[in-house]
Amino acid sequence: MPRVQTKCFDELEYSRDAVFEFPTGVPGFEAERSFVFLELPGTHPLMFMQSLSRQDVCFILLPVLAADRDYELHLLEEDLAALRFPAGSQPQIGKDILCAVTVSAADSQRPHPTVDLFAPIVVNLKQKIGIQAVQTQYSAQHPLRSEEEAVAC
Amino acid sequence: MLVMRRRAGDSILLGETIEIQVLEICGTRVKFGIVAPDSVVIQRKEIKITRDENITAARSVRQQDISSILAKVTPRPAVDATVKGLTNVTV
Repeated sequence: MPRVQTKCFDELEYSRDAVFEFPTGVPGFEAERSFVFLELPGTHPLMFMQSLSRQDVCFILLPVLAADRDYELHLLEEDLAALRFPAGSQPQIGKDILCAVTVSAADSQRPHPTVDLFAPIVVNLKQKIGIQAVQTQYSAQHPLRSEEEAVAC
Repeated sequence: MLVMRRRAGDSILLGETIEIQVLEICGTRVKFGIVAPDSVVIQRKEIKITRDENITAARSVRQQDISSILAKVTPRPAVDATVKGLTNVTV
């Protein structure tokens, strides 16, 4: 099994099936074309999207439906083409695609961790290709709150 | 915000050196042509938002923050969209 130096967990073994190619990278990291998606014991349902070429580039991901159970993904024609799906189709989350959002930890500017519902990471599970697909109706800094906190509001 | 009505073929000038022309209007989509000096960065706004958020997200990944993030996530197996066997990691 190949191994990768990760940002947070030293060196890990990974399966080649968990590697996804991003033909244009992601905005801000256009040169990073290969990412391995890691699920680690004790951090479910989080995933880690680790660049294979730069150890310091890693994203924490949360499956989009765990961030917003009513989330509606709409892929544009150019998104479908980039993911190699036929025009006019809308692939199914969990079956055809993995759709997950990046998480930013709380800091001096954000009292809560936030998730980027505006630009979810979408990968074609069969073709192993990924993009970031902008959804303009959603927020890029959606506060991540536990259910108890959400009820309190 | 300044609001202007323009038709296809019309232009707007920003200062002396930037011209934005409405090339085509088709339903809900508008095609622009932009003439500007090389020093002016032109980008789709959604890409700038995404880039800024990606940089923040990547910078914020630290092992000590993972437990505080997990505390905000309620595991809901019914909506778990991760794929079994996607990764098979041994530490």
